[in-house]
Amino acid sequence: MKFLDQIRSHTSKIIPNQNQVWIIRGLVIIGLGWAYIWSLQGLKIDPKLIQTSLPYMTDFLSRLWPPDLSIFDVAVKALIETVQMSLWGTTIGAILSIPIALLSARNLSPLWLRSLASLFQNAVRSVPSIILGLFFVAATGLGAPAGTLALGIYTIGYLAKFYQEAIESVDKRSLESLQVSRASWWQIAQYGVMPQVLPLCLGYTLYMFEYNIRAASVLGVVGAGGIGFELVNYIRGFEYNKAMTMMLVLLVVVTIIDILSSQLRNKFKAD
Amino acid sequence: MKPLLENNLPAIACRNLRTDYQSTLKRPILNGIDIQINHGEFVALLGLNGAGKSTFLRSLVGLVPVNQGEIQICGTKVDREHIGEVRKNVGFLFQGGGLVDQLSCLDNVLCGCLGELTTWQSLWGFPKRDRRVAMQLLQKLGLQEQIYQKAKQLSGGQRQRVAIARTLIQSPHILLADEPTTGLDVSGIKQVMSNLQEMHRQGLTVVVVLHDLALAAQYAQRAIILEDGKVWYDGDCQNIERQFAQLQFTQLQGEMQGKSQFQSAQAA
Repeated sequence: MKFLDQIRSHTSKIIPNQNQVWIIRGLVIIGLGWAYIWSLQGLKIDPKLIQTSLPYMTDFLSRLWPPDLSIFDVAVKALIETVQMSLWGTTIGAILSIPIALLSARNLSPLWLRSLASLFQNAVRSVPSIILGLFFVAATGLGAPAGTLALGIYTIGYLAKFYQEAIESVDKRSLESLQVSRASWWQIAQYGVMPQVLPLCLGYTLYMFEYNIRAASVLGVVGAGGIGFELVNYIRGFEYNKAMTMMLVLLVVVTIIDILSSQLRNKFKAD
Repeated sequence: MKPLLENNLPAIACRNLRTDYQSTLKRPILNGIDIQINHGEFVALLGLNGAGKSTFLRSLVGLVPVNQGEIQICGTKVDREHIGEVRKNVGFLFQGGGLVDQLSCLDNVLCGCLGELTTWQSLWGFPKRDRRVAMQLLQKLGLQEQIYQKAKQLSGGQRQRVAIARTLIQSPHILLADEPTTGLDVSGIKQVMSNLQEMHRQGLTVVVVLHDLALAAQYAQRAIILEDGKVWYDGDCQNIERQFAQLQFTQLQGEMQGKSQFQSAQAA
């Protein structure tokens, strides 16, 4: 008992008691509440403003209905272009992401190289897709090529990071066993790293393809081709029913691609 | 299997081996190890957790950098310059097998041949001759039905046998096994240890990290007990239970001393 008392008196000095825990939790909640109020004040959101703007919102939404199906063929054509942009943009981005991910991976590269590659990744990720769209429109002119290139670069920022994490999660012992078998760097990559990361990376790439279809729609706003270009033109021309058709077609295609790609991703995971 | 080296040099020779200082342990993991293991010996490496057994084994194939001292494998110094030559003589069994889960058993075994092939030769697969040898090895180890199965579908014992086949395809002189029986059931342990015994009979020098004293006494000829990164006992296996009891008693004494020092410091 004496020994237990000694342990209790020792632990009470380093572990906070129940009251202290509740005080800490209370302070965290107060701190969070203050952060939310502070942000709301910074945004200058007035509840009255939301109340008065409600009729405008309902008016806008009511003008979207019914969809004008006479432009269905235009919508399908624009959508095909969007999917094509996403396909090529994702592929370009995925190919360029591989070497960057290899150079950024903790288990493959020295610190100095890793730092440089990570800096490059962060720089690419911090540029919004719309800025990339504007940049390539200025370089190659209006249309889908600008959007495709913008998507390609935008994709690097994310896929390189995902690929890097997949490479870093590779079982260390399996690579060491190849190292002890005197396998070369390339042989370790081919027989140790690739089989382990490929299912994960294919899943990430499919997810990025899906995401890029939505991103390509936004890029159209700055004239970089795809369905967004047509969509924004109809909205600017107050042809809301035609814009609605565009959005519905996009919704259907995005849903179908989402279902197919999540099934494929599950299959890759099982492998 | 390759014939044993004809020179009289020991299979493994380590002198005053030290690794970097570890702040968590307040000492280097390996803290002045002197060991000599001759060709054809079956050695069990024992010790409590954190004693430095796995680190010692890994240092022999250059997977852990050594700060001080020297290691020689079959007379070749283990350093950056000679590591390829050293690894040619050594097979390493990792805890859990160290297999690539997504590859088939056959491909995992064939990975043992990578050192003999150029990058270009292995780019499009493995030569027929190597595939045949790998299949024979898997059959010999009782895995004929698992040849094309992915490694992740195997049981612990089967994984370890695939790893043994991968080691055998390299025809090494020395086999280092890091806790090859951990996580296996009784029959798995028996199979793996019998395989190691068979390899020893064929002339291989076997060094195996074990936690089970009875297994060590049953299979090994010599036991080395490590403690605090140093050799605590080096001798035959008949004595190891008594040695271990003594080791634990000494540790307990150390802990009691530490506790009384802590109490007197508290009182002061």
